[in-house]
Amino acid sequence: MDRALIDSLSSTFDALRVEVPREDRLTVQAPRDAVMSVLSFLKGRGYDHLHMVSCVDWMEEGQFELVYVLSAYGTGQDSASNPGEEIILKTRIPRELPTVVSSISLFKNAEPYEREIHELFGVRFEGHPRLTPLFLERDYEIPPFRKDFDTRQYVEDFFGSIPPVGEEDQDV
Amino acid sequence: MRELELYFGPQHLGMVGNFSITLKVEGDRVVKADANPGYLHRGFEKLMEQRSWIKNFPMVCRINVVEPDSMELAYATAVESLAGIEVPERAQFIRSIYLELARVGSHLFGLWAYSNMLGFDTAAQWAMYHRDLVLDLFEELTGGRVYHIYIWPGGVRRDFPEGFEKRLVETLHSIGGCVPDYDACFFDNRLFYDRAAGIGKITREEAMEMGGTGQALRATGVPYDVRKIEPYAAYDKVPWEVPTREDGDAFSRIWVVRDEMIESVHMIFKLLDEMPKGDVYNRIPNPFKWRIPEGETYVRCESSRGELGLYLVSDGGDKPYRVHFRTPSYPHGLTILEKALVGESISDVGNIMISLYVVAPEIDR
Repeated sequence: MDRALIDSLSSTFDALRVEVPREDRLTVQAPRDAVMSVLSFLKGRGYDHLHMVSCVDWMEEGQFELVYVLSAYGTGQDSASNPGEEIILKTRIPRELPTVVSSISLFKNAEPYEREIHELFGVRFEGHPRLTPLFLERDYEIPPFRKDFDTRQYVEDFFGSIPPVGEEDQDV
Repeated sequence: MRELELYFGPQHLGMVGNFSITLKVEGDRVVKADANPGYLHRGFEKLMEQRSWIKNFPMVCRINVVEPDSMELAYATAVESLAGIEVPERAQFIRSIYLELARVGSHLFGLWAYSNMLGFDTAAQWAMYHRDLVLDLFEELTGGRVYHIYIWPGGVRRDFPEGFEKRLVETLHSIGGCVPDYDACFFDNRLFYDRAAGIGKITREEAMEMGGTGQALRATGVPYDVRKIEPYAAYDKVPWEVPTREDGDAFSRIWVVRDEMIESVHMIFKLLDEMPKGDVYNRIPNPFKWRIPEGETYVRCESSRGELGLYLVSDGGDKPYRVHFRTPSYPHGLTILEKALVGESISDVGNIMISLYVVAPEIDR
């Protein structure tokens, strides 16, 4: 990983935790307000490929962790960014009323990822043009990918309440 | 002219897979397209949080029905990287051969879907038949035809059976011998050119700002391939080329697929020549009591559709804490497809979708 990038990251932003777990990997922990400016900083440095936006539910700590994975396409003039290296940008947000600014203005392919996280975790992305359902067909009290959503219990309650075929006849 | 709303799929002749697109059309021109997945959502990533590490292998296969093998690889390498397990060199070669064979099978299936959709039934039937020959090889090697569950942490499940290499080479030669026929019947056919050239065009800049990888990007002239930029398995052990094209339309994408198939077959021959002797797996702890150290990892590989990534988190327990796949069809089928369809004719919707190589189960997961 490029040493100059790590230095300029820590000098440009306060309160970043930068780690290098592997030679070709950089993990950056940023506060919620800094996410957009860090993403735009990295994009300006040639890291123009957003792989994914993910979300992890740390229920016991009362937080969601949003994860942005970035790398470089390596087609730009600036050859400092190596396409074989990934940057993982993480931010923690509270589980109560989780909101974060949408990153669509920087990366267009963030749109379906944010839509999915809104649907499955209940995180609101400010400025997202369509936070409509993507996969699910029913309404859930708890967004189903949260850790306190019990899939087995839900299946038992929901599908167990449908009477088996032919049961009405037996009662007669 | 009046604007109409048109539902394209999930039950439509031009649609492959459980996927639908809501089109706004004016005459027969598409004004706006809304991709509409969710017909196949099984919540695999949530289910995987409730099963032990080893029991998740049958699940990851089913995320991409057409090419389950790169899913196995992504999951196995992620577990290896968390648990610190090494893979023997012979197993690395076998993995590469196995993945390239899977790529050939997947591309033949893609070729079937594409040529069938355009009405080239002969080429489609050939491709399906040749894919079946590849599946026979998989059956002999792994016991399964579609879902193989062959790669696992520490290596692969078993070594090549007696005489397998010979039969592998023979089968690939008999498929490769038909390339001139395919060319005459389909790839060099004027009708294919007329239907596909200039259709669903994406520029290089558009592909990159929408997260495109695989054929969608390589058809615009960018030789972006994870096997080259971050080599895994044995891809850095033999020389090979990344085929590209310049135009970024459906025609270029399908030609990239064709060239890639040929390159894969050549790569298998080179890998077979270089393959060392030795073990094919390293012992792992008892999988039923296996606890993986706390941590997180992101791994990626090149599936037949583009870049496949996996973000995996462990809390030190016997099950994954969070699994999230970055599947190539996700940006291709949602962001890029919605953009590429605008301004095209209704008759080309299926053409563009299949040339982008979208497979619905990968989006829904």
